[in-house]
Amino acid sequence: MAKKLKTAKRTAKKVSSRAAMSVATNVDKTAKQRVAAITSAPLAVVESDKDMQAMLAVLGNTDEPIAVRLAALQALQAASFSVVAFESGRGDYVATLRKVATDPDPELRQRVLGILMRDKDGFAQKKLLDGLKDPAKALVPPEKALQLLSYDVHTDAYEVARDIVKKPPNDDAKREALRLLAADAKAAPIFEKVLRDKKELRANRQIAAAALHSLDPGKLQQQARKILLDKSDYDDIRATSLVALQQFGDDEALGKDKALLKSVKGFSGGKTQAKYKQTARQFLSKYSP
Amino acid sequence: MNVELQINNSTNPNAQFVSWAPSPCRIRVTNPAGAAGPNASVKLSSTSAANGGSVGFRSGTTGAFAPTLTLTLPVNGTSVSFFTAGKFGQPSTNEGDVRIEARVGNTMVGAAKVMVRIRKNANTLMPGERDRFVAAFAKLNNQGLGRYVDFRNMHIGAGLQQAHGAAGFLPWHRTYILDLERELQAIDPSVALPYWRFDQAAPNIFKPEFMGVSDNLGTVSFANNNPLQFWKTDGQPGVNRRPLFNIAGAPPNPISEAATLALGTNFSQFRTMEGNPHGSAHTSFGGFISSTSTAPRDPLFFLLHCNVDRLWAKWQRQNSRFNPAVVASFNNNNASPVGHRLQDSLWPWNGLTGGPRPPTAPGGTLAPSPIVAAPGLSPFVKDMLDYHGVISPASNTGFDYDHVQL
Repeated sequence: MAKKLKTAKRTAKKVSSRAAMSVATNVDKTAKQRVAAITSAPLAVVESDKDMQAMLAVLGNTDEPIAVRLAALQALQAASFSVVAFESGRGDYVATLRKVATDPDPELRQRVLGILMRDKDGFAQKKLLDGLKDPAKALVPPEKALQLLSYDVHTDAYEVARDIVKKPPNDDAKREALRLLAADAKAAPIFEKVLRDKKELRANRQIAAAALHSLDPGKLQQQARKILLDKSDYDDIRATSLVALQQFGDDEALGKDKALLKSVKGFSGGKTQAKYKQTARQFLSKYSP
Repeated sequence: MNVELQINNSTNPNAQFVSWAPSPCRIRVTNPAGAAGPNASVKLSSTSAANGGSVGFRSGTTGAFAPTLTLTLPVNGTSVSFFTAGKFGQPSTNEGDVRIEARVGNTMVGAAKVMVRIRKNANTLMPGERDRFVAAFAKLNNQGLGRYVDFRNMHIGAGLQQAHGAAGFLPWHRTYILDLERELQAIDPSVALPYWRFDQAAPNIFKPEFMGVSDNLGTVSFANNNPLQFWKTDGQPGVNRRPLFNIAGAPPNPISEAATLALGTNFSQFRTMEGNPHGSAHTSFGGFISSTSTAPRDPLFFLLHCNVDRLWAKWQRQNSRFNPAVVASFNNNNASPVGHRLQDSLWPWNGLTGGPRPPTAPGGTLAPSPIVAAPGLSPFVKDMLDYHGVISPASNTGFDYDHVQL
């Protein structure tokens, strides 16, 4: 009896997944119905090779509604977390993603290139680099290409990123170029300059602090101290500097640094924004109780 | 007269933490001056700070917990055992915000400060709790050089087959986040891993002071006083996370908590939650968290998995599924891949490499706890079911959830 019940339940689940796949691939259903069916059972796509192939066909078919294709992509991504079951179809999945990487729909293109780059796909990397060198070939805006290239940085990308930092097409592109260069050991001087440049966008100065700490932690500690001693610098950059010292600095040296403690004391009062006053007080309670 | 209170049978400052599970404690007279006879009657009670936790007491291994407990202590210094536990619904917000007091008459003769340390909903954390958590996490990450690298390397390549796609998915991730939480507690013992309830709106999580704010590209920015601004993984600073939903609400695809708990009363049915809500929660975003190979590069990943574990804990409670010997608690199948059967040890904490296991085992053994011995340094799948010590008190792994009462 128990065995019969178990078999019945298993069959019911199969039927449920089967029904979802049936609706998902039925072009006579509305896009809304098909999206709902796909999202209801994302693992259905790995229950058989046939289902996987059907979902890949939906994803790759430019005649299908874009909402259905995006849902198919999301279901395939969710199913890819079931590593063992997904493995047999992975080759076809990657082949479809590469095909869709040049799709007319920009949102789909962007998502697919992101998936490929997170798996360090050479095809996607070449396409993105080609687009940065020749905008006529670009599949995504330069700032997005730089962000995606940062998943697997190679020397070619560093060269392009340096050029963009010097002559950025827009603020976002410069920011993403800086983020990409944060893995380049030779870029520490660039970040030192950006961090100390009060005319630079403060978001870029914040990135420069993180990058400098990554590439040359000692140098960031030096610069952070200088910024905190400089009352004319911005509150937010001084707060970033304070956090860098408190989180990663030499506790003993910080406790003995009277000039720094005096400056932080000043930062903890006056016209400093309230949230940063609190950060300064926490620093003082740790190093100058 | 003076007494000494030993919480979790210890005076170690890092052991002064309790959950909803009973903590074994001891009390003994350390200075008998003023005692009237060979024994003294001592009354235990507790006081709570504002927004503080609350505890109860009992003398033995069974029975209800009460707000007070009177014990008879030999003045010769012999220890007397008792138990304390957090009062469900009243967790702490700060370390030591509950004071256990021992009194003879009206005279206080001893005290111990404790914390009812519980995993909470990240969206409703107090600012102080949130700030301590992100500071500890940033310290653990330590610019990509810290112990965090091990956690990143566990969830990549061949390691994914140990963690995903079969029955061991839930036990493996329970061990994984417990290991991470214990490492965070080694940095700041007042921290518990919070969870992201992905079936509810959680706007407070996606703020600059916490997990950061994503722009249209998916680049996450953090507040200048948030230490996560220095987050680094795989040689790159920063986090990429592009929500595919309005962060003022919940993502549309993950099924609700009620639907998840209704997946079935057998583990084989419940574990389909690996697809939805788990997989659907991951793919509610673009960026790191949406791909298996990069998901741990986003700190939000651990809050997501804490919620997956909370759902399992809640399902276990709802269906009494703590006993590994009960088939409905875990669908043990000899045909399952190695690492996904009850009697299998869990990689990488077992240190096994090669053959059916991945070629490397990053991170060494599970981080030890100063409070509990379970699940051991190299746990097995079967050790991760009775996390609260429902079947055996010795199985208690030392964590609990705010809304999962046991």
